[in-house]
Amino acid sequence: MEDWRRIDIDAYDPESGRLTADDLKPPYSHTVSLQELQPTIQQLRSYTSSGDFAAAVELFTTDPPYNADEQAKSQYFSGILEVLTQVRQVDIANIVKRLDRKQQDALIKYLYKGMSIPEGQKHGGILLAWFEKLTQVAGVNPIVHYLSDRRTV
Amino acid sequence: MSDIAAQFKLVKGSIYSHCFNQDRSLLAITYDTDCYVYKVSAAKQPQLVAVLPDHDKTVTAVDISVHGRIVTCSQDRNAIVWEPLSNGTYKPTLVLLRINRAATCVSWASSGYKFAVGSSARIIAVCYYEQENDWWVSKHIKKPIKSTINALSWHSNCVLLACGGTDGYARVFSGFIKGLDTKEQVAGSPWGEKFPFGSLVREWYQGAWIHDIKWRSSIDKVAFVTHDGSLNITDYTDDIKSVDNPEGLPFITLCWINDHEILAAGFSNHPVLYSEGSRGWEVSKILDSPVKSAGKLVASTGDDEEEGAFGMSALRKFKELDLKGKVSQQEEKSTHVNSITELAAYKESNNNVTQVSSVGLDGKLVIYKL
Repeated sequence: MEDWRRIDIDAYDPESGRLTADDLKPPYSHTVSLQELQPTIQQLRSYTSSGDFAAAVELFTTDPPYNADEQAKSQYFSGILEVLTQVRQVDIANIVKRLDRKQQDALIKYLYKGMSIPEGQKHGGILLAWFEKLTQVAGVNPIVHYLSDRRTV
Repeated sequence: MSDIAAQFKLVKGSIYSHCFNQDRSLLAITYDTDCYVYKVSAAKQPQLVAVLPDHDKTVTAVDISVHGRIVTCSQDRNAIVWEPLSNGTYKPTLVLLRINRAATCVSWASSGYKFAVGSSARIIAVCYYEQENDWWVSKHIKKPIKSTINALSWHSNCVLLACGGTDGYARVFSGFIKGLDTKEQVAGSPWGEKFPFGSLVREWYQGAWIHDIKWRSSIDKVAFVTHDGSLNITDYTDDIKSVDNPEGLPFITLCWINDHEILAAGFSNHPVLYSEGSRGWEVSKILDSPVKSAGKLVASTGDDEEEGAFGMSALRKFKELDLKGKVSQQEEKSTHVNSITELAAYKESNNNVTQVSSVGLDGKLVIYKL
């Protein structure tokens, strides 16, 4: 690599305003708090206890709270993990088939999130089963979307 | 293959951008730190007629105006306008863009009197010629661009400028230049009332990098391709339609075929045609798709029966090592053997593009028939 590529050019221009990580955050009008998510989490619980998993998956894949803070997101996710792990393997395919493109994208984000934290890794097998069924239905597209999307769950 | 009208291997390196002139007799391509100009006639190999050498870093984009002026921009942070002279040579004029990072893309407005340059300095420079100073002036659009601009496209009214970049936003700005443009150009535009220079007309957040964006001026629609492998179409109503690449790989470039068809291409080496039907946008045809034949490996491994002996497995291991890097002819290659970097309309009749030219990282120019 040539030397000129290493020059810190912003140091020569006081007005340039360095690019920060915050600059690339998606534009959210406000941050969703945990309180605002509580009703959805309750709803998820009641669907789960009545065994209506299809409705539960439908609920959490529609309009995920991208604009929540990290703590609220992880609370919310533990509710989702409960749903994901209680569905019977044989039902997964049918539930996945009903999702549309946006919902598939949201679902794969939650699957990856699950695989990235210890609580989810305990249920690695079931997350992989979801993953397999999802890619059978939607191909690699949700994965490519996940890789390049700055809206995280 | 039937989708291919012509193909030429032009250079040994990558081509990032190309442009034909109005009557398709000249072709300009970027190659390393130069711009090569070719004379094109029918199906013959293009003839190199000029090398435009003034840049000293990689040339990133080239465009030719309606009047035949060539503009190039480069990582050396400059743009150069090349005026064709009667003896076939070109007279360069340096355009100072006043940016501190590489220029990435350039586009003439359809009038041919101004052009826009996108850069990694989070700036779009709109440049026009000032008669009294004999000088190309550049005016900056800065806010609210947050990252590198990858693509630019002028509306045919020469005022609206669409851009997309790595901050994940597709935006429409006003590139209105006082004294050059008139209010009549945008009278009755559905995009707004007033268009002062540099004002943000619309923005759409996509999340992923935007690789290319193009206007379809006649129906006031914008299409852009993103790094998540999707093609998105929107207009002034902000209603975004998205459709995925069936192969999952991202597109780098797109070209409107007519009001209801778009050709997109990128990392999968061959273009995909999308059309808008009653069920919205969907894939209608994959051009020049590589044919998968139930393939045999080129080299047979000979006596590779299971012997069970320890020595034999070691022998096979070495044989396999020996085969490493050899091509197995399981797939026929598509015409482009590397990513396609730019598509452009080549032949058009009744507002319907019938042939599309493309260049790629493999140094080839390919003309596709639709």
